[in-house]
Amino acid sequence: MSLTHFSIRSHLDVVVQIALSSIRVQSRYRGWLLLDIVMPMFIAAIPILLGQAIAGPSAAANFQAHTGTTNYVAYLLIGSNVFMIVASALWHLGFWLRREQQTGTLEALYLVPTSRMWILVGQSAATMGRSILNFVVAFSLGCLVFRVNPLQGDILLALAFLAVGIIPLYGVSLLYGALVLKLKEANSLINLAQWVVSFMTGIYFPVTVFPPLLRAVALLFPPTWMTNGTRAALLGVGWFFQTWYRDLAVLATFAVIAPLLGYGVFLGTERGMMRNEGVGQF
Amino acid sequence: METFISMVRKQLLVMVRYPVEFVSSFAMVFLIIMMFTLATLMFSAPGSAGNGPGLSGGIMMYGFILFMFLSDTLWTIGLNVRWEQYEGTLEALYLTPASKFAVLVSRVVLSLVWTGLNMLAGVAFVQFVLGRLPFHNPGLAAYLLVMALSGTFGFGFAFAGYTLLVKETARMTVNFLQFGFMILCAMFFPFSALPSPVRMISAMIPLSYAVDAFRSTLMGFPPGFPELAPLEAEIIIVSGWGLLMPIFGYWSYKWAERRVRTTGGLAEF
Repeated sequence: MSLTHFSIRSHLDVVVQIALSSIRVQSRYRGWLLLDIVMPMFIAAIPILLGQAIAGPSAAANFQAHTGTTNYVAYLLIGSNVFMIVASALWHLGFWLRREQQTGTLEALYLVPTSRMWILVGQSAATMGRSILNFVVAFSLGCLVFRVNPLQGDILLALAFLAVGIIPLYGVSLLYGALVLKLKEANSLINLAQWVVSFMTGIYFPVTVFPPLLRAVALLFPPTWMTNGTRAALLGVGWFFQTWYRDLAVLATFAVIAPLLGYGVFLGTERGMMRNEGVGQF
Repeated sequence: METFISMVRKQLLVMVRYPVEFVSSFAMVFLIIMMFTLATLMFSAPGSAGNGPGLSGGIMMYGFILFMFLSDTLWTIGLNVRWEQYEGTLEALYLTPASKFAVLVSRVVLSLVWTGLNMLAGVAFVQFVLGRLPFHNPGLAAYLLVMALSGTFGFGFAFAGYTLLVKETARMTVNFLQFGFMILCAMFFPFSALPSPVRMISAMIPLSYAVDAFRSTLMGFPPGFPELAPLEAEIIIVSGWGLLMPIFGYWSYKWAERRVRTTGGLAEF
């Protein structure tokens, strides 16, 4: 590798080093690691306890009539864990550039002779790995606390939906990153976005309860397919397109389109900013 | 007093300078309400949707009001010192001869205005979309709300002191506290839904009595409410919380402030 020529290996080195540095920084905040694992339980506990209080012994039967499964604990735990994945993608990647500005490392990053794409891939890889690991640990822990068997349904298929579904989510978060780049102080926008995406994804309910237009919009969100795919694989609540491979194919299509679209918009915004007011403006 | 008024003016000025944040906080309230409402519907008997929010709506919405104030208190009052550090204005504030506590208290006004408006809009939204919420005994409910908020703000002062001591860890603690209180104080569901050991912990937190008394009063004391103690006992506990917690919060903040000034921790980021 020279400063002007990059091989595939040197690109991979960049990805690995960025991922390692991200993991190292995240591991320094152990409290946050713990919070990421217990938070889905808190988020799921609210509708679980509310539902039990409202419906009493009929809670499972009523829930089945609306969603197709009696296992509302696992259903809501899957939803709350997807919420955490969405939040993590938006905060760790969508807000990444802003954080670099805040910590004063943005200029240094723009001076390195490597493409931003590989830095973003490294950053995403670390967060994706952590998100999937958190999902598995938090879901198992939640099942343990609420006394539900986590080892049910097609676990491998559920993991496949998670692994494929998380890729387009990071594409969406890049789109959001472009918005953050433009607006700068955007904490509230990310806060709002995580609730909008979670609402549209149906973390507490199936998107079939939405009116047709809203349902159509919800189906344009990749996390909607990821949530339903995971629930269908583990709890048998039914696929959007009748079979798992059709749903997975839709998610795979999103996995190709969303990152390309997200990266394109991100680069376009970045270029525009460099030409006009500048990225360095705080 | 002048310091306090100036700081209130500054806080309100900053608030109106970020219209996106203002609008998004409104939108977020509606989204959260919609999500919990739809979640509740999943547990209702088929065909019973459209019967109005009823008791469960009252339990959820009135608990939600106190939760939003608690959450806002922890973030805007408790973490206030941290924001000043981020904005680089903490040292400047400490160099002025004005009361540092007045600066902190000024955030109470911001919380009252911002969250108060949000909650009014939230209640109006629920009434408009889902139907009429139970609304009884407004005088007693107002007294309980004032006392509950006074205690909550006091807790926020104490948390600001804690922030001075622990710095960045406070941000994580806020997340733990707001979700912990959400469950332990049964803000979105009745206390009867909690398992017995958790309920015993709930009974040791004064805020639980504030939540219980406030929503039971507004719902007109339906059978089984209040759940934790007789109303008279709950009023005494909530009054004690509202009167004593601000004093304790102030004392804690001053103690923490003295400590970081002595140890040199104030300037450490």
